[in-house]
Amino acid sequence: MSHHLEGSRNSCALHGALQLFESIAGVVPVIHSTSGCGVQHYLGGTRLSGGNDPFGSPAVSSSNIGEKHVVFGGGSRLREQLKNTVKVVQGDLYAIVTGCSTEMVGDDIPAMAKEGLEQDWPVVYANTPGFRGDVHQGYHLAAKTLIEQLPELWKDAEPAPAGLINIWGIIPDQDPFWRGNLDELGRLLEAIGLVPNLLLGGDQGTAAWKRAPGAALNLVVSPWGELPARLLEECYGTPSLSLEGLPVGAAAGILLTRLTEQLGLDPLRTEEFINREQARLQRQFALLADSYYRKGFQREFALVGESSQVVGIGEFLGKSLGLLPRTLVITDNPPEHVREALVNRLTTIVPGYDTELVFSEDRAEIADAIRSGQAGVVLGSSLEQEVAVELGVPFLAVSFPLTNRIVLDRGYAGYRGAVALLEDLGSVILADSLSV
Amino acid sequence: MSPLRAKAPRSREKRLDTLGAWLGPVSAASAEFVAEDIVQRIRTFAQSSHDDLLYALRILAGIKNSITIIHGPRGCAAAGLYHMAAGCNTRWVVTNLDERDTIMGADSKLRKAVTALHHRYHPEVVFIVGNPVVAINNDDIQSVVKELHEELNLPIVPVYVTGFSSQNAVSGYDTALHALLKYLSGKSPVAEKSETVNLLSVAEHPQDRAEARGLLEGLGLTLNVFPDDAAIDAFRSAVAARASLSLCPDAPEYLGTILLEKYGVPLIDAPRPVGIEATGRWLKSVGTALGATQAAEELHQRKADETRRQLGGFSLKGRSVYISLSSANAFSLIDLVEELGGEVAGVTVTHLDRLHSRQLDALAARNPSLQIHVSDGQAFEELSIVRKLAPDLYVGDATHLAQIARLGIPIVSLETIGIIGYSGVVRLVRRIKAALVNRSFEASLVGIKHPYQESWFRRSHNWYIKREVK
Repeated sequence: MSHHLEGSRNSCALHGALQLFESIAGVVPVIHSTSGCGVQHYLGGTRLSGGNDPFGSPAVSSSNIGEKHVVFGGGSRLREQLKNTVKVVQGDLYAIVTGCSTEMVGDDIPAMAKEGLEQDWPVVYANTPGFRGDVHQGYHLAAKTLIEQLPELWKDAEPAPAGLINIWGIIPDQDPFWRGNLDELGRLLEAIGLVPNLLLGGDQGTAAWKRAPGAALNLVVSPWGELPARLLEECYGTPSLSLEGLPVGAAAGILLTRLTEQLGLDPLRTEEFINREQARLQRQFALLADSYYRKGFQREFALVGESSQVVGIGEFLGKSLGLLPRTLVITDNPPEHVREALVNRLTTIVPGYDTELVFSEDRAEIADAIRSGQAGVVLGSSLEQEVAVELGVPFLAVSFPLTNRIVLDRGYAGYRGAVALLEDLGSVILADSLSV
Repeated sequence: MSPLRAKAPRSREKRLDTLGAWLGPVSAASAEFVAEDIVQRIRTFAQSSHDDLLYALRILAGIKNSITIIHGPRGCAAAGLYHMAAGCNTRWVVTNLDERDTIMGADSKLRKAVTALHHRYHPEVVFIVGNPVVAINNDDIQSVVKELHEELNLPIVPVYVTGFSSQNAVSGYDTALHALLKYLSGKSPVAEKSETVNLLSVAEHPQDRAEARGLLEGLGLTLNVFPDDAAIDAFRSAVAARASLSLCPDAPEYLGTILLEKYGVPLIDAPRPVGIEATGRWLKSVGTALGATQAAEELHQRKADETRRQLGGFSLKGRSVYISLSSANAFSLIDLVEELGGEVAGVTVTHLDRLHSRQLDALAARNPSLQIHVSDGQAFEELSIVRKLAPDLYVGDATHLAQIARLGIPIVSLETIGIIGYSGVVRLVRRIKAALVNRSFEASLVGIKHPYQESWFRRSHNWYIKREVK
């Protein structure tokens, strides 16, 4: 049975589905729920992920059901809303998403979507009531919707170029650095001769999703990418490569080597690229070294975030920067079968050093863990700033929700992300040393 | 019968004929309310808008030493993160109802949450907030409140918002205020009055409260400022106050009315103190009601002169301004723009009801053809209206500011500035000056696509607003 949560940072399934749909150019979410659901998403999601406002507003269509619809059903209201959405809002695809109220009332959403299809409107639907789970479930539901319903809609799938790689598991806004992270992963793939299919962000429209079934491989960078990758594997036989986290710094090289082996690419080209990037990263370490020693960068850290962030950032700080992972908190409720692997991996980042790993999404529980760990720097969401202040240690906001940073195309993945992280973390440690 | 007997007050629509969808000249709006023939409108295409839950949370976010428990699924607490980000220090908890809970009910979960939080934090008060799921299931919150109130000796206030029973979010203010009064102000009036004056402040900017406090304390008044940034004892003290004074005739209206009707605390009739002249009238009303007429007049003269000096002859002459704000702020801004010599191009207000009749009548007499648009969150209508009117400036706080900016129109948002009183005018004018003198950011945005079909812009702006068929 689920438990009450303080300062919940994982919102609900409806909001997770909106986050995915809004990040695909040309997709128009049509919310079938009470009027506040979209505004909750805007206030508690969009506005707290570092500046990220795809429509310049909350989602652009919502049926805003009232008492009458709760009593008598809201199907006809959805029919009217869908019809008028097509008239008012431009889109390549209209995605109906539902809230708790209309699911409890029992509106027949598939029937409404079918009516739309009969009018030749490009319509898909996802049942996404908040009581079904959090944003991660919403990402699952929305991705599943697209994978299963798009082929029905567009019989003429886009031909996929050779070496196309789908990237799964990055949830827009829930990872505030999602754009930058996707861009860097794309750059890495291109460098070894592959064609990245980012699926989300700026120029990634529905065409990217039409191409997805023809990909050579699904690259999965968080536990949340496993489901869409499995669905594609089942339907189209596409193989997958699963990472438990974002590759940051040297981990990017390991990923590229694995891809090169798995897909039979030119090993020399890959090696050359990795060497160049490693050499560049090493020059940055050398530039940093004087400050690193003088200002006492080497210290214990607490890190709070989604599993992919904790793996990526935690390993980079522990394995390349000499920091000590004191308290690691994973907030995204990864499924049970993933947890054991995460525990094994994350408690042994620095052999011989005792790391505490906690799975929690409760603000108070997380603060307790950080407090008892007494780390010398805290990386987490803005909700952790309070305990960092209490401990009197520097703080860097890296996970959702972010209230004091603007994030446009910054990312922490790959080689470039590693350098960005050095700059950001170094800056807060430096600022802290000046204020003492 | 006590007006606080019911679980929640009647919705604004039923109590004050509140409209959430309307478009037309102000003369027609005025006439509709004068004739008392008010027909509700609905939209056949709509965009997300605030609901009563969100407005109730705004009030609860301001109560010190409190814990707010949203007894619902996770997403209903998303706005709690926003309030935390905005600097609210209270704790936010969601009972995290899952699919099973929606079928079986979840009283035990709620009971557990209240008990655990009480033992961990010892708050002064716990709020339990409703939402669509518990409203549809008709979950028994009341018995949990009663039982735990006795067991834990803790004030527990259930706030019965639903997310759907009113189409006007402002009803949420009433519902929250109803609950706060009912559970925290005592059952009866008090015989012994204090010298204190209630200053009713609902969801106001801290700078606004500071300005009002400064002015009123300048008149020698002792204030009980609430519910914003107040502890729960303010609700009990309020009952003994010699009078209540509002920062706004709309948002705290229910609070002032119940304090008058149930507890016999006189309510001073005063406008919203936005703009030099309106602030003067506000002070004058206070002075007249509390026997400080001359002091109020002197204070106004002094402050008004000082403010005019600070404005240095700033004028909006020749400039047209579009205003899109909460109703009370919008009506105040219309007066202020005119006071500054500007012309109001059009106005969007969140809702319209009998509380605004006086302002509608005055406006209708002065500027009958001024178009008034009633909408919360309906960006598509507003974008089309503003595109057609092409004003020189947009003052607004809507969720879709950034869409308007794509039209190349300078924007002033009130989110981070207080506009009340004399200092408010100076602050606002500083922002307006900046917006008008450098429009390069809007120029940088021009050409970014908006999400609407071009054909929509050729439709009449009220195309999707229909009279409700009962």
